[in-house]
Amino acid sequence: MWLDLSSFALTALGLFFFVAGTAGLLRFPDTFSRLHALTKADNLGLGCVALGVALQAAHWTDVLKLALIWALALLAAGTVAQLVARAALSEPRARKRAGERP
Amino acid sequence: MSKRQIKAVLHRTALCALVWLALTRADPGAFAPGVAVVAAAVWLSLRLLPARHPLALWRLALHLPRFLAGSVTGGLDVARRALSRDMGLRPGWISLRADLPPGGRVALGCEVSLMPGTLAAGSRADGRLLVHVLDTEAGFERMLGREAQALARIAELEHSASSPGGGDQA
Repeated sequence: MWLDLSSFALTALGLFFFVAGTAGLLRFPDTFSRLHALTKADNLGLGCVALGVALQAAHWTDVLKLALIWALALLAAGTVAQLVARAALSEPRARKRAGERP
Repeated sequence: MSKRQIKAVLHRTALCALVWLALTRADPGAFAPGVAVVAAAVWLSLRLLPARHPLALWRLALHLPRFLAGSVTGGLDVARRALSRDMGLRPGWISLRADLPPGGRVALGCEVSLMPGTLAAGSRADGRLLVHVLDTEAGFERMLGREAQALARIAELEHSASSPGGGDQA
């Protein structure tokens, strides 16, 4: 009962962060700020969902599998954010909108 | 085989074995093929990414709580801004001294991108890590020097760690 409620609460919280990340993707003014919203909010959202699902795990290796999924998604998010940011830097239009001068 | 290589083989074998256990739900019937698969995976990983810098795994484990706390704060901060009427964005750029090997610099960039308010965008010609800051008045960049140092220690490179507060204005 409490386990189920915790699962509901955690997955709901995770979904909230995904929604917040999407709101940031739509509302933030430039490519770089949008990347912040995507990587950080989705990372936390996936963490909450994984935690919520882990409470329902039937076997300890299922928890391990969820941790692995989260870690790999984390690694992908961090890496892809850097790659997109680097690519955006070489595009004059994105640089102009971000108003930067690295 | 050098000590460094032995350490790398041990680390990678443990990691691959753990993944195999997770994928097969630790089914005893899968142990025998697991030995062959793990051996092949470790051999392949050493070919693709030869052992260069031994990692201090206990330092990595010690670093984990702070990383988790940072990614929670980062997610909360960005969610708050995304959903508030006035997002309070004051974007800017800083560069961070990162005397790490190329792989270490990517790892630092990966971590920095998940910490509150900072996002790595590659390196400059002089080897400094270029970091985008979401709000230049929130002091996000203060923690970056410490993160670089922590990663250098995990890669057992403390002699070449960047100075504290290594982030400064670009």
